[in-house]
Amino acid sequence: MITALALLGYAACAAWWAPALLAPLTRRGASVRAGLAAWLAAMASVLVSAAVAIESSFRTVAADWPQLTQALCRSVAGGACTPAVYRSALYEGGVTALAATLALLSAVALWRYGRRVQRSRAQTRSHARTALLVGRALTDPASGIAGARAVMLDDPRPAAYCVAGRPAAIVVTSGALTVLDPPQLRAVLAHERAHLAHGHHVLATVTRALAAALPVPLFTRGAAEVARLAEMSADDTAARANGRPPLAAALIAIATGARYPSTRIAGAGHLGAGHPGPDYPDAGHPGAGHPGAGYQGTGHLSTSLPRGALAATACAVPDRVERLLRPASRASRTACTLALTLTLTALAAAPPALTLLAAR
Amino acid sequence: MQRIWDHGGTLTVRDLFEELRAERNIAYTTVMSTMDNLYRKGWLARERDGKAYRYAPVATREEYSARLMREAMAEAGDTEAVLSHFVAQMDGPESAALRAVIDKLAGGRP
Repeated sequence: MITALALLGYAACAAWWAPALLAPLTRRGASVRAGLAAWLAAMASVLVSAAVAIESSFRTVAADWPQLTQALCRSVAGGACTPAVYRSALYEGGVTALAATLALLSAVALWRYGRRVQRSRAQTRSHARTALLVGRALTDPASGIAGARAVMLDDPRPAAYCVAGRPAAIVVTSGALTVLDPPQLRAVLAHERAHLAHGHHVLATVTRALAAALPVPLFTRGAAEVARLAEMSADDTAARANGRPPLAAALIAIATGARYPSTRIAGAGHLGAGHPGPDYPDAGHPGAGHPGAGYQGTGHLSTSLPRGALAATACAVPDRVERLLRPASRASRTACTLALTLTLTALAAAPPALTLLAAR
Repeated sequence: MQRIWDHGGTLTVRDLFEELRAERNIAYTTVMSTMDNLYRKGWLARERDGKAYRYAPVATREEYSARLMREAMAEAGDTEAVLSHFVAQMDGPESAALRAVIDKLAGGRP
């Protein structure tokens, strides 16, 4: 029972406070892969501890059941109903109630999770199917598209998205085509293909369903942060293929709904047009943790925007543009990866360590 | 499906077959089974006309398109489909603020 309580306590603490620890480390996407791993590890750690705690409290109840019934019987029969027995019955009753509550809660959570996953998968597939049939085939300005098919839908609002399915679809609206030049469109398509190739839709489905089933901070905040990091990861892949200026310009163009020439930012600082800069060898860990040495930082882009001017969903745009325009120095990237790896190890080690300690 | 939308109005398997045969070598049965499939999946409606069926799209391309965009643009909660948007759109003041800061960032360096 001690083990169960320790694990349950840990799960509750982590579910409420882990976001406060992880969010600052992953906010600017200085280390995308480590960031994703840390968030997912935190979720897994909490789920495993809670599951083990519930299972262990069940076993306690099952083992003590004969004692419990005997105590209940005696207390009903009177006779030998001593205060010690009465207290014991109360204790056992409490344990049973706790186990029953936990079982009920986990059953409800599991059911909600399953239903959510199923519904979102069905809707996603049907959206992809319809888009492929309704949209007009979009030919890549440079080459044919490998893998997913890209289609154009008539809509004046500029938007681009991908949707998993069999086959998957990449949708670009006619509004988006009018604000993008060919290299920018290539960058957009590379970004969306990266999402599909890396299976980000699976991450999104699982984390969003978890958030719906267990609306505690770790899962609700975690789903949003995982989505942000997935965007940054796809940005990295696209930037590696086509260079950062067209991607950054495409982000601005679609977000603001007006053309934005890539050359306007291509001349900025050390950015070479069309190819990754020399300080960008490891695209898995780029980004802007802190303005590193050599940057004449005028403060972070996102913080220099007027507070409250940006909606929550749009907040990712300045962050993403900034990390494309001003990647973090190698030192701050390494520091961030190290901090995240430590956090990840602690989260992974906590449940077994607690079990061992409490079992002593 | 593209063909049927472009054609407009109703048409029989024979109509579409004649149209397609002008461009490529295609079997009548292929066209027939494709149209039957689309009917069973709810994309086409059909009514008997003598011996043949006359097919018509259930909804226009624009209607489907609008439905998709509604789903795509819906704020989270309305739809459970998992769509990875390239980037969220901003409104006027947000756009102006973003552009101003990025221009400063891009232009203000040596």
